[in-house]
Amino acid sequence: MAFRHLMAVARKELAHILRDGWTLSLVLFTPLLVLILMAYALSADIQHVPIAVLDRDRSPASRTFVAQITAGDDLELYATVEDLGAVEDLFTRGEIKGALIIAPTFAADVASLKGMPIQIIIDGTEPETGGFAVEQIGRRAAEFANAAIVNQLAGAAGESLQTIDLRVRAWYNPSLEPRVDLIPGLISLVLAFPALSAALTLAREREHGTLEQLLATPIGRGDLLLGKIVPYIIVGLINVILITAVARVWFRVPFNGNFALYFGLSALFMFAALSMGVLVGMFMRTQAAALALSFLLLFFPAFFLTGIFFPIVAMPEIARLEAMGLPGTHYAIITRGVFLPGVGIEVLWPYAVMLIFLGVVFTALAALFFRKKIG
Amino acid sequence: MNLRRILSLAWKDTLHLRHDWWLPAFMLLGGAMELLLIGWATSRPVTNLPLMVLDGDQSRASRTFVSAVMNTGTFVLEDYVRDEVAIREALARGTIYAAVIIPPGYAEQIIRGESTIAVLLNGAESIPATEALRAIEGVSSELGLAIMLERMGLDPQDVEGFLPSLRVWFNESLSEAYYTTPAELGLMMEFTVLLFAALSFSRERELGTLEQLLVMPYSRLELIVGKSIPVIAIGFIDFLLMLGVVHFFFDVPIRGSLFLLLILALGYILVELGKGMVISVVSRTQHQAFLLVLLVGMVDFMFTGYAAPVESMPAILQYLANIVPAQHWLEIVRGIMLKASDLRVLWPQIVALIVLGLFIGTFSFRYVRRALY
Amino acid sequence: MPEPKPDRETTLVGRNLVRKFGDFTAVDGIDFEVHRGEIFGFLGPNGSGKTTTIRMMLGLLPPSSGFMEVLGIPVGERPELIRPRVGYMAQQFSMYRDLTAEQNLRFHGTAYGLTNQELRARIDQTLDLTGLRGRRHVKTEELSGGWRQRLALGAAIMHHPQVLFLDEPTAGVDPISRRAFWELLYEQAASGITVFVTTHYMEEAEHCHRLAFIRRGRIIATGSPDELRDRFEDGEVLELAPSDAAEAVRILRRARAREKLELKEIEMYGSLVHLIGPSVRRKKRSIMRELRKAGVNPGRAEIIEPSLEDVFIARMRSAEHD
Repeated sequence: MAFRHLMAVARKELAHILRDGWTLSLVLFTPLLVLILMAYALSADIQHVPIAVLDRDRSPASRTFVAQITAGDDLELYATVEDLGAVEDLFTRGEIKGALIIAPTFAADVASLKGMPIQIIIDGTEPETGGFAVEQIGRRAAEFANAAIVNQLAGAAGESLQTIDLRVRAWYNPSLEPRVDLIPGLISLVLAFPALSAALTLAREREHGTLEQLLATPIGRGDLLLGKIVPYIIVGLINVILITAVARVWFRVPFNGNFALYFGLSALFMFAALSMGVLVGMFMRTQAAALALSFLLLFFPAFFLTGIFFPIVAMPEIARLEAMGLPGTHYAIITRGVFLPGVGIEVLWPYAVMLIFLGVVFTALAALFFRKKIG
Repeated sequence: MNLRRILSLAWKDTLHLRHDWWLPAFMLLGGAMELLLIGWATSRPVTNLPLMVLDGDQSRASRTFVSAVMNTGTFVLEDYVRDEVAIREALARGTIYAAVIIPPGYAEQIIRGESTIAVLLNGAESIPATEALRAIEGVSSELGLAIMLERMGLDPQDVEGFLPSLRVWFNESLSEAYYTTPAELGLMMEFTVLLFAALSFSRERELGTLEQLLVMPYSRLELIVGKSIPVIAIGFIDFLLMLGVVHFFFDVPIRGSLFLLLILALGYILVELGKGMVISVVSRTQHQAFLLVLLVGMVDFMFTGYAAPVESMPAILQYLANIVPAQHWLEIVRGIMLKASDLRVLWPQIVALIVLGLFIGTFSFRYVRRALY
Repeated sequence: MPEPKPDRETTLVGRNLVRKFGDFTAVDGIDFEVHRGEIFGFLGPNGSGKTTTIRMMLGLLPPSSGFMEVLGIPVGERPELIRPRVGYMAQQFSMYRDLTAEQNLRFHGTAYGLTNQELRARIDQTLDLTGLRGRRHVKTEELSGGWRQRLALGAAIMHHPQVLFLDEPTAGVDPISRRAFWELLYEQAASGITVFVTTHYMEEAEHCHRLAFIRRGRIIATGSPDELRDRFEDGEVLELAPSDAAEAVRILRRARAREKLELKEIEMYGSLVHLIGPSVRRKKRSIMRELRKAGVNPGRAEIIEPSLEDVFIARMRSAEHD
């Protein structure tokens, strides 16, 4: 393996990227742009969830209850209806996400401590807002019930309303804002984009018929593969700096770790992800095919299986196994670890080892298949 | 318009695919398989979250609380620990999502009505942490109510009566597949159509065959139609296969009209096709086309509500969501499949899709025609 | 060389054509007329505006100003009438590399509206004409350069166009294939097709019925190869076969610099040296003397017909001096 040869390929590949400003800016800024857009989308709390109320009791107690339920910013009284048919209609049109049904015996049952006959209906097709509505209504109903029970305790003035007081502390992200941890998580997704570009490069050479020319030169196959990767590692590392700056300054995501360590681990990730890209693209003779394959093998799994949106521990065995083989999984853990708890190499070393391992395996496989398939 | 000539162009474009014979196979079957795997992996309640417990009381009451938490099914018990240091370290390592700390004297505090339990969450992964919090909060309010009833001298079993009963419409079993898989289907379908459409002209331009094509006696309309046919075919077959996966493997019902769904799927493909064609003529290389597809596709994905509900986005993004076809398409898919919605209900989405389709279609046709001077 | 047909029907017209790209003027007011059955050559160095002219004629690029006509129809007005009657072979190889020769032809044929029976016959005919019959099922990317050119030409003529545009059709093709290629072209021209061809190969230009020298977007001379040679104002060409051609050129250029010799061109052609200038015949002696003095054997020296290349280079040089 000659460094000179490797750099020759890298320079050529870089020239392809630099040749026109369009491609260059797209390669450079797509990850950042996507991250910013997604971060904005994730930025706000759920608010003003529209609900409908069907009050069959119409007592002062039930009216007080409804007023308490819709007192905050989170739930909004969209409509007061007369029958279930109207509720159903509103649901089908998607105008409400939840409904509260109060039974005719509400005031009487609460007064006699028999219970609290209410029903919550939610739209099961949108569990995020539906679940939120259930949570909010349920919490206020429990408060209402507690108050009612305490009122019945004759001569027990000063009795505490709360029986179990949960003191919740969310570390690293006190208000559990999704933005704070999803931005570091998404970095592993958007930094996988250059890997998709890398998947194209070998297919491009074959499609244009320039690969044979390249193979006729004294450049070794390993140099050729690495040379194709190096420019995108540079692109990726520039993005690491840009994205970290934007996350820190613009979105105010804390960065508690060591940047040098993070930079180094990012380089390892780029190495592993890009080798995987080159390996995937190697089997295809046209860029269209390479793209289709890399969307299936690189992009969608990086999206859904690396634990950014759905925790890996909750996945079935096979999916978890596949997740272990994706560099993005390990890198997502690293980014979150470095950004939020600010842990160092003493905690992150297993993931670093996995990245090196995956990178070496993918590169070796690529070199092996390269010899078999092409030369 | 000469049908024979148009079909000949479509045939030629299909031949390009055939030479990498597994490209269409992969794109079609692979897409369905992928949806199978991803849908399977993500369409389940969040479970198995590792939990640490520090029980400083070791009483019957504290054990009741812990077992109630474990009975929610959300957690697996990582460990009982003796001090907070272990918890702190586990949270930093990210090996646990939540910890419950029960203070000494918890059992007596309960009787006095002033018990506290500390919950520590791993905010570095807010989605599972929020799930964990929901589960623990549910346990605490239920237990709290029961304890209160007991002190009142009432039967603690009556606690059920004080909890609101819950009904989930359109998704009685609360299957997560009902909302994850249609979104995943929509995303994969959009990327397939966009990608193939975007490569149609950029490929010819990059490989230097475009000029030859342009001097042929094709009108610009014929060129665009001929190039569109294989893309529409691939997109539609892809949709059918993935719909099959969603319906048969994930048991998501199709409660409304299948015919209406298929018609609208075709309409949605045409809208995305128009976007892809514009990308395909502004790009000089396939690489550029791909990067633009990535950018556009990701923006659209934001509005499918997969990562965050559209309602919770900033107002400006909510307005923007209206001009994203994928958003209306997803409403249509969910509406027809789960709510048996028909034209009376879906007309706003359909009108939006038609308006967007006409707008994008006209713009892209004019633009593509001009770009292909 | 076959004579141009006396047929004077004009098939291609360009009048005061101009094309600018920003500040750069690629084509700077050119005029030409091409007649039916004529092979019209556009000869010029790279970047002189040849391809731009062809692309304008094909309607691929709108001109900045000027007028063009193909087969009596102004370009840009009724493309649907022009396109089916025109064939084009681009400079860059533009057959689909991943399709076989036959698949490429089939696509071309159908695109030009051939029916199924016609198509089968034309494909066979084209394969025979180009000698590709034995390679019909070979993927285009596996064909060698010469075969590829023939395939591209075959595709360009299979719909029997009346006008054929060829943009540097034989670039990078070996001499034997080039020969065969031109024979195909003659057959086409003889059957009444107008051929508009650009090239920078001199010996190829010799094959054209009529030529236009183009330089920096302007036509600097037109005429048949013979006419151009006859009008060669710089007189005669003296050809030397010296023992050391490079050394001879150096010596003579030095002599010219000292104004001892009046010569317009001193060029090396392989082991030969061409000297061009007014009444070079009478200077033969002093030239020989000059060389001998410097220790170079001038060898055989004779007056020859100027080659097209001599004419071309002299034209280009004088255009430069203007």
